[in-house]
Amino acid sequence: MSIYLDYQSAKPVDPRVIQAMQPYYYERFGNPSSLHAIGDHATEALENARGIIADFINAQAKEIIFTSGATEANNLAIIGYAMRNRKKGNHIIISEIEHISIHNISKFLEKNGFIVSKVPVNQYGEVTLQKIIDRITKNTILISIGWANNEIGTIQRMADIIDLCREKNIVLHSDAVAAQGLLKLDVGQNPIDMLTLSSNDIYGPSGVGILYLKNDTRINPIIIGGGQENGLRSGTENLPGIIGMAKAAEITKVEMTEETERFLKYRDRLIKETLDNIPKSYLNGHPSRRLPNNAHFRFSGIEGESLLLSLKDKGIDVSTGSACSSKTLEPSHTLIATGLLHEEAHGSLEITYGRFTTEKDIDTLLDVLPGVVNNLRKLSPLYKEE
Amino acid sequence: MKSTQYSEKVLDHFRKPRNVGVLEGEDVAVGRVGNPVCGDLMEIYIRVKDNKIIDMKFKTFGCGSAIATASMITELAMGKTLEQALTITRNDVASELDGLPPVKMHCSNLAADALKEAIKNYKSMKKNEVAATQKNDQAIRNIAGEYDFLNKGVFHKIDEYSSFNDKRTIIVDNGEKTAQAAIEISKYTPRVVLVTHLRTLSVKSDLKIMLNKTDVKILYESRIIEIKGVNTVEKVLIHDLNEDEKYELFVDAVIIL
Repeated sequence: MSIYLDYQSAKPVDPRVIQAMQPYYYERFGNPSSLHAIGDHATEALENARGIIADFINAQAKEIIFTSGATEANNLAIIGYAMRNRKKGNHIIISEIEHISIHNISKFLEKNGFIVSKVPVNQYGEVTLQKIIDRITKNTILISIGWANNEIGTIQRMADIIDLCREKNIVLHSDAVAAQGLLKLDVGQNPIDMLTLSSNDIYGPSGVGILYLKNDTRINPIIIGGGQENGLRSGTENLPGIIGMAKAAEITKVEMTEETERFLKYRDRLIKETLDNIPKSYLNGHPSRRLPNNAHFRFSGIEGESLLLSLKDKGIDVSTGSACSSKTLEPSHTLIATGLLHEEAHGSLEITYGRFTTEKDIDTLLDVLPGVVNNLRKLSPLYKEE
Repeated sequence: MKSTQYSEKVLDHFRKPRNVGVLEGEDVAVGRVGNPVCGDLMEIYIRVKDNKIIDMKFKTFGCGSAIATASMITELAMGKTLEQALTITRNDVASELDGLPPVKMHCSNLAADALKEAIKNYKSMKKNEVAATQKNDQAIRNIAGEYDFLNKGVFHKIDEYSSFNDKRTIIVDNGEKTAQAAIEISKYTPRVVLVTHLRTLSVKSDLKIMLNKTDVKILYESRIIEIKGVNTVEKVLIHDLNEDEKYELFVDAVIIL
């Protein structure tokens, strides 16, 4: 088995979650909409799961809408809110470093009469309040800023952004997928209007997610049908998936503190030893306001895909912001937004780890990395040894 | 096909690249092709005797297939006459490697172009420096937005280097004083870019050495053509004169002395 350090892309499902899900495929297969006993059991299980997930972020059960994942939750939040409230205004603000789904949803809305402004970030990937204020107009109805960045791990000052939006009476949505399970998300303490979570990012099955929708927030559905989820998300509920997500939330709530402490230790070692041992290596993102499971580097003179291939040969799976490894051949929009040139974004290495990563995995990477970087630099016309 | 699903032959050339390095001498020509936006850069060196390529080396900044195609072309062209070598196409290189992922056919298959460039340079026996400097030796022109953002991120003078603390700063090259400023400001922020329309900086060599020791990023043969932002500077539009490409760079401060 290779060493997997790409938890940002996908996480394995916790075996305890799989165990909790299993009965719901056969013995307890019921449809919550049915009126017979097995349907009643399904309703009970569904509402129980809703309660557990609400508890995970300190929300009320009725504020949780199950979706097919984070992308759908983002669509429901932004398109659903924009369509419902277009009489109030047609202006939406997002940041330059949002998840690709948010960028593409924005493009869709632009084609449908909305205006979208993008807030730049500083060199560490932080959104500054002033730059949001600079963009607010009387037509601004919605702001969407990710809680933490999925690539470079920078954590935003959400409490300040929430205060600003309340003061200006603008609804705020946050894609919190990268932050969930690593940072405490408490919608009581941080009264945000809409929040996206995904099941897989807390070691639940993929294909499930939620939109947290604060009580008085009004949106239109984007999927029309039998009126499930209070009419906001039709379609028979994915009960095994939802049970899995609830179990994942339950486990994460208990184990989060201990887990993040362990991750912080890995992170600080990865950053210190890489920067110390490899000349002309740089950290992308913020040195301290960053997710505990993220270390993101660039190495001058080398390209990310060849770095990824070399590490794969050594049995280590990582990720890169290089254009050469993407479908579109565009470099990571997040790295570019932090002020990097294309060639620098090309040389990036993204290391994300999680529940099943051991210290030995980190040791192996730290052992192998300097040699791999050095070998690739020998081929490079852009790197001159000092 | 995913970008990483390469043929065994591509992986072999990636893992054990043939003929890596550079060549020097009067019988050597180099072909340099690349794209600052896409990011790949390739240099192919040829040594020619009696109209035949007797030695070849390469250096590449790029993905797995960029490295493999460069390695492959050194095997294909070695020993060939210049006329024979000129007939080698991108498709020849790709098929010798048992194919490339479709998405890579265009961007990472620069080797044939680099070889053609090297042969062209050998034949004209002009090193490309001459043409490049002539092309770009123009005075600094007006930058759109410069006066709109004056003192809102654009600076015509520097009062305190420390005021650029943590700011992504781009400095328009204007000789020794701007090189000096770049060095000083790099003590306060990790991000300093020096942009020059020239191929090399026209500053004393000790200043060049000092610059090399810092993390100042130098953009050669490039020019800022526009400064953009909302209320304050947020990004600049850069024109790469050599490749005639335009791209945006996010910055907080622009210094024009």
